[in-house]
Amino acid sequence: MANPRRVAVTGIGTVSALGNNLQEFRSALAAARSGVRALPAEIALGSGVQVGALATWDPAAHFKGPEASSLDRVAQFALVAAGEAISSSGLDPAAANRNRIGVYWGTGMGGAHTLETAYRTVYGKNDFRLRPLSVVMAMNNAAGSNVALKWGLRGPFANFSTACSSSAMAIGEAMHVIRSGRADAVVAGGAEALLTPGMLAAWQALRTLAPADGADAAASCKPFDKRRGGLVLGEGAAALVLEEESHARARGAKILAFVSGYGNSCDAAHMSKPDRDGQVRAMHEALGEAGLAPEAIGYINAHGTATLVGDTVECEAIRAVFGEAAARIPVSSTKSMHGHLLGGAGALEMAAALMPFSDGLIPPTANLEQPDPACAVRHVPLKAERGEIPRAVMSNSFAFGGSNVVLVAERA
Amino acid sequence: MDTLARIKDLATRELSLDPAKIDPNAPLADLGVDSLTFIEFMFKVEDEFGVKVSDEDLRNIKCLADLERHVAASLQATGKA
Repeated sequence: MANPRRVAVTGIGTVSALGNNLQEFRSALAAARSGVRALPAEIALGSGVQVGALATWDPAAHFKGPEASSLDRVAQFALVAAGEAISSSGLDPAAANRNRIGVYWGTGMGGAHTLETAYRTVYGKNDFRLRPLSVVMAMNNAAGSNVALKWGLRGPFANFSTACSSSAMAIGEAMHVIRSGRADAVVAGGAEALLTPGMLAAWQALRTLAPADGADAAASCKPFDKRRGGLVLGEGAAALVLEEESHARARGAKILAFVSGYGNSCDAAHMSKPDRDGQVRAMHEALGEAGLAPEAIGYINAHGTATLVGDTVECEAIRAVFGEAAARIPVSSTKSMHGHLLGGAGALEMAAALMPFSDGLIPPTANLEQPDPACAVRHVPLKAERGEIPRAVMSNSFAFGGSNVVLVAERA
Repeated sequence: MDTLARIKDLATRELSLDPAKIDPNAPLADLGVDSLTFIEFMFKVEDEFGVKVSDEDLRNIKCLADLERHVAASLQATGKA
């Protein structure tokens, strides 16, 4: 029997290097404009990391008085993205049963800035007198908890921390909790803010970050390109308001899409090396739950981090799942523009994946000038493409630790 | 600026209180200051005045007037007054 509880997307909010709202995000993707830039010396310090996708962020523009100083940067991003999602959805939590509205959030590192500030004080200055708010600002669930607190959302709460799949998992699990009948609506998404000298040094040690493009720092992230040299770290947040269909219709909300498929698998093979079979299983599971044949997918927002191995394996996995249709289905990696948001990536890329539903515009892979034959899929290089509004889209998120999450959404 | 004025000034900035409505003798809870906010505020007070507020002192500070007395005594004791 078909599941009677469909899960609608009724609001979207984003914060990233491409701007601090959805419209700026979409405009940048439509114009293939990258938010990657050379990292200021005071952020990179001696880490050796050259580029990042830094948000242009002034806390005073979003928070009154001392409020911002009690929120880690990651929670600030979360609150602004969630605020835009809730406000654009038209959902008034105060007028709804808030015991049935939840928050499902994802983040990899949580309050990284707070943690690093504390460590700098303790180890750098031998000063053990730390701010009393250090714990509640640094803890991994703080960003999601602040969202719940701000809007009084008292329904189911969960915080997922599975590195790069965290916020995609939050969206998938939120869909399930609504389908199960335990919530009417969930603010689902994720955030990341870890562009700190210590975190950058740790990432640099992995030897997986792209160097600055010699001619143009903005072009440093080159997914699927022969010249790709690794990922570019980004920061920001994205939130969706997910809502049970009849709840949304009863209040006359505009339904932007339906989230209908969620695949979740673990490679259980290696901590960092991607595994084709794990990815294939997650894609199959998402399609199966949505009840869609692969051909129904009209756009795939790839994980596409621009690492040598990652892009190759993902394209193999896409070809294995989609067969002949892989030659027709547009695939792009918007990380080329907003960088890799890690725990926030899945949610931000879901926001990108839903773009074609509004106007048929498929976001491109920026900087893809020389496609790698090992990454043979139907690319959207350099420029956005306008076409028919697809029936369904897919967004892939594959994480260190072997977690694979795939989301499928259908047009309203 | 005397000690109480500086405390009120700090409370205005850090606790978003309306300076005209700050009653130094009102229990902090009545000013909308919860326990977590209070200990964070004490941290700022320590920075502002260069004094130490021990856990025991903290238990005896119920209002801004208590705080003022504690800070004034500490400043006196350390010769900073």
